[in-house]
Amino acid sequence: MANLPLARRLSGGPLWIVPLALGILLILVPHFNLEYSIVRQLQLAMILSLLVSGLNLSLGFAGELALGQVAMYAAGAYTAGMLSQRGHTDILLQLVAAGFAALLVGLVTGIPGLRLGSWSLAMTSFFLVLLLPDVLAIFRDDTGGRNGLSGILSPTLFGKLLSPDDYFMVIAIVTVAWFAVMRNIAVSRHGTALRVLKKSPVLAASMGINVFRMKLLAYALGAVPAGLAGALFASLDLYISPEAFSFSVATTILAASVLGGSASVYGAVFGAFVLQFGLNQSTEFQKYSLVVTGAFLIIGGVLLTGGLTGLARSLWRKAVGEDPAVSASAPADAAAAEDVPAVPGKVLRVEGVAKAFGGNQALKGVDLVASPGRVTALIGPNGSGKTTLLNMICGFYRTDAGVIALDDKQLQRMGPDAVARTGVARTFQTPNIPEGITVREAVMAGRYAGHRATVLEAVLRLPRYRKVRKGDLAEADRVLDLVGIRHLENAEATALPLGQRRLLEVARCLISNPGVLLLDETASGLDEDEVERLAEVIRRVRDAGGTVVLVEHNFQLVLSLADEIVALAHGELMAKGTPEEIQNNERVMSEYLGIDPDAPEAPHVVLADVAPHTPEGAER
Amino acid sequence: MSKHAMTEAPLLEVRGLGTGYGDLRVVWDVSFDVRAGEITVLLGRNGAGKTTTIRAISGLNKIVAGEVTYRGESLAKVPAHQRVRQGIAYVQEGKRVFHSQTIEQNLLLGGYPRKLKRAELRQEVERIYELFPILAEKRALPASSMSGGQQQMLAIGQALMSQPSLLMLDEPSGGLAPVIVNEVMERVHQLKETGIGILLVEQAVEASFAIADHVTVLDMGRTMLSSPASEVSDMTLLQDAYFGKSVAS
Amino acid sequence: MTLIWGGLSLGAIYAIVAIGYNIVFISSKTFNFAHAQLTMVGAFVAYTGLVKWHLPTVLVLVIASAVVAIIAAIEERIAIRPVGDMHNILVTTLGASILLDGAAQLTWGSQPLTVPFFAGDSAITLFGGRAYPVELFLIAIAVLLVVGLGIYSRRSLTGLALLGMAEDREAALLRGVNVRRLAFMAFVAAGALAGFVGLFVGSKTFAVSTLGAALALKGFVVLAIGGFGSMPGTLVGGTLVGLAEAYASRYLGGEYANLAVFLILITILMVRPAGLFVRTKERVV
Repeated sequence: MANLPLARRLSGGPLWIVPLALGILLILVPHFNLEYSIVRQLQLAMILSLLVSGLNLSLGFAGELALGQVAMYAAGAYTAGMLSQRGHTDILLQLVAAGFAALLVGLVTGIPGLRLGSWSLAMTSFFLVLLLPDVLAIFRDDTGGRNGLSGILSPTLFGKLLSPDDYFMVIAIVTVAWFAVMRNIAVSRHGTALRVLKKSPVLAASMGINVFRMKLLAYALGAVPAGLAGALFASLDLYISPEAFSFSVATTILAASVLGGSASVYGAVFGAFVLQFGLNQSTEFQKYSLVVTGAFLIIGGVLLTGGLTGLARSLWRKAVGEDPAVSASAPADAAAAEDVPAVPGKVLRVEGVAKAFGGNQALKGVDLVASPGRVTALIGPNGSGKTTLLNMICGFYRTDAGVIALDDKQLQRMGPDAVARTGVARTFQTPNIPEGITVREAVMAGRYAGHRATVLEAVLRLPRYRKVRKGDLAEADRVLDLVGIRHLENAEATALPLGQRRLLEVARCLISNPGVLLLDETASGLDEDEVERLAEVIRRVRDAGGTVVLVEHNFQLVLSLADEIVALAHGELMAKGTPEEIQNNERVMSEYLGIDPDAPEAPHVVLADVAPHTPEGAER
Repeated sequence: MSKHAMTEAPLLEVRGLGTGYGDLRVVWDVSFDVRAGEITVLLGRNGAGKTTTIRAISGLNKIVAGEVTYRGESLAKVPAHQRVRQGIAYVQEGKRVFHSQTIEQNLLLGGYPRKLKRAELRQEVERIYELFPILAEKRALPASSMSGGQQQMLAIGQALMSQPSLLMLDEPSGGLAPVIVNEVMERVHQLKETGIGILLVEQAVEASFAIADHVTVLDMGRTMLSSPASEVSDMTLLQDAYFGKSVAS
Repeated sequence: MTLIWGGLSLGAIYAIVAIGYNIVFISSKTFNFAHAQLTMVGAFVAYTGLVKWHLPTVLVLVIASAVVAIIAAIEERIAIRPVGDMHNILVTTLGASILLDGAAQLTWGSQPLTVPFFAGDSAITLFGGRAYPVELFLIAIAVLLVVGLGIYSRRSLTGLALLGMAEDREAALLRGVNVRRLAFMAFVAAGALAGFVGLFVGSKTFAVSTLGAALALKGFVVLAIGGFGSMPGTLVGGTLVGLAEAYASRYLGGEYANLAVFLILITILMVRPAGLFVRTKERVV
């Protein structure tokens, strides 16, 4: 019984001892006296796995399909090759230079491609690969053009000439080192943040993550292993030509990524080895390589969403036992009695905020004040402007007029990620939770933007990273207790039932110590028990000093929770007051019931323009 | 309530319906009937599950619990486009006509499921023009150029092109001036006279009440009240049902 | 003027590919990476029919359309329909395109094959420039397709249903349109079109197994310039790309042709992200 949770813990995280052992084995290969052809295949497979790993960062983690790995690979190879030609044969120098050259190519090409999202990056990076031979031909004096670059000298390390066996070890060490780096990124807060981004850019922005910068980071970072691979390749054959960087290499990389599982760390090695050894066994078989690659991509895309590693992981999970989310029984109100630490709220002020979409005035000057230690509820019929107001507070829409401020800081000119970093946290009508991470990780992601540690610090596990990480863990304990789902911390977050996912979202907001907590229809779709638990959590947050804004349809819940109710209608403030006052307000009742025949001035608002259902992609 | 309807089986029977969006369940237990030549009004605050209920009847959302039968047969396995062919028409909230197409093109498209010859289709369009003369006037203009009320007429006209037996209208008065609301209600009342069964979702309680044969009130995805309109004389009863107090009927 | 004819006909090929992308995009909001490969297969089938089997041109056109339509149908069933999200469709249709590249290489080898053109290959002089008959045919086909599809989509009930579906899928479903079936039919029709034009494209460029990749990319650039879903946009984009390529390779050298097109693409993406003919909308959460 005591061993079971350990096995489960292992199943959740990567088993890093196994890959490390395999890596050491790989480094020692020259001592095994293997056949030349196998050694060469191993070397090529390692280089391929570096390329695949780089692609995984953008495709699997950030969710952007990019085919430009080959261009970065070439940039690295030619940089190293030309250095070597000029007598700079030290492999370390070449690796560093190649890594930077590839990084540069990644940054320059990523900026226009990423501005537009999915197809654009796929296509511009695809184009980049096709341009390669042309670019090399234009600079033929330096690159040798279509004839290739010859005259590369044998690599040295600290002035010592490297033997083929030595060089094998160099390749193996670089590969193992990169995967250690990759693994450290993947399990760090940055890895989680990338998954958040992949799940939804809107979610990422509302958590304070700058979407464009994060995507660029993933894409450009993926260039580094490609550059390293290029340098390693250049000194392997001492000759490079445009043919080594053709489009079919790009597709092989993609196929290996999909096969191994784009969202995994070691899947890259697996996919690369399968393709290297599978496809290139014999020239007879090579004829079919394109067909097989294509088939891999189709089958992989259709069946194995997580690749083979994903498949293995789910099998392992089955073997270990049922999902902890299902088996763990909820300790009724374990944390209820404990004293809740303070949640320092701020004052949210909305003054005269107006917004028009086209000719339709969705908000006509709305005022609202939400104070710490109070629950302010926002109600109103459909199309009254609640959602619009919420989205404007969060920075998704620009205001036409008016002021939105948190304490003394004005928000109305900020983008959504900046607003979130100022201290506005929100939940979503449909819980927005990334796949493939645990409840604890999902909650800790809420601290990503507020408490920073760079990727480099994460990779090297520097003191600041450790400190932030410690804070992440401690704070996660606190907020998981607060909402009462601590017992589910190791469960897969997306596997939770709706009610618990809602609580998880609340916890994710709370961990950032928000100045204001915006709850968007948190009770919809919950049964009575779940609503009661949620209400209890909201009360606790309020009592701890938090500022809570509740947008809600459940009238009973609003009446029982709110300290103040703000009712909107037709984009204007209709009424404001305590639950008793609102309940007895004629106007509110009539707006809801629609009994009042002489409603003031016919509202010519067209609902369709406000409701979220407007047809997308409509062009007029 | 008209007498002849009582003797026939209802056109549409909804029993214990449960539905939602993916695993987000919005409707838990909803039951009511719609009879041919009658108007059933579905009331409730927003978020009560009215639209989701209609979406399940039209086939846009999956029925996860309970039963929906149309002309005595279960709809559970019938795809949405087939339901239109069987005579179930749904006019969505927010006048969702095709804005980039002309009024006439919108109407022609409304006749799509009937596989008519060109000439017959033209005739049907003329029939709609008689019903809504304003559409005939503007036939060659894009739908986006019309006012909200006119777009609502077009949306109803488009639905009528499929010759429905059951017409479901989701907040046809939404966002319209009171004068136009009355006109829309009048039209709906006329339609019922032709023998069509009508399911009307409304927030304008008073206006829709005037033409209702049967009233059903939902809250939090459950039926709170279901009764012939003639028996609901006390508005406080309605108010209670509205704000989540179940009313036995 | 000779240069202009060459550029325009090249642009017409790209526009025809972009039209195929557009048909699929309008009907199902997906991007079929493999559409250019379908055109390539059309060119190969035309070669086999004309050169190997000595069949009459009309029959070859029919066979090529049918064969490619069937391939497209299979592609839709195995690589598109079972896949849920957009990113995976990019991967699977890319897979389909690579598979077709490989299959073409196995079947027809990797040497360029000449597809004879029925109207001959002697250049004629027109507006002071020399042009081959196939070039004029290609330009005519591109223009006729855009005009014809424009009329069809406004006049026929199926065309209206397609446009309706593009504007609001759910609303179209509620008007009794079987949106899935219609999207499938549109996909197959785009395949038939690719098969049909294969003969013309192959006559201008050779039938070769690398044709697909080149066409795919330029077709996409045309689409990005004109705007996704815009049919007239394909003609403008095609003209721009074709002429840029022709002039760059004439005056700067062959290796600058792709570079010039790439620069145009980057500029358009930075300045008008949605293309020249499609308006951007305010972002909605």
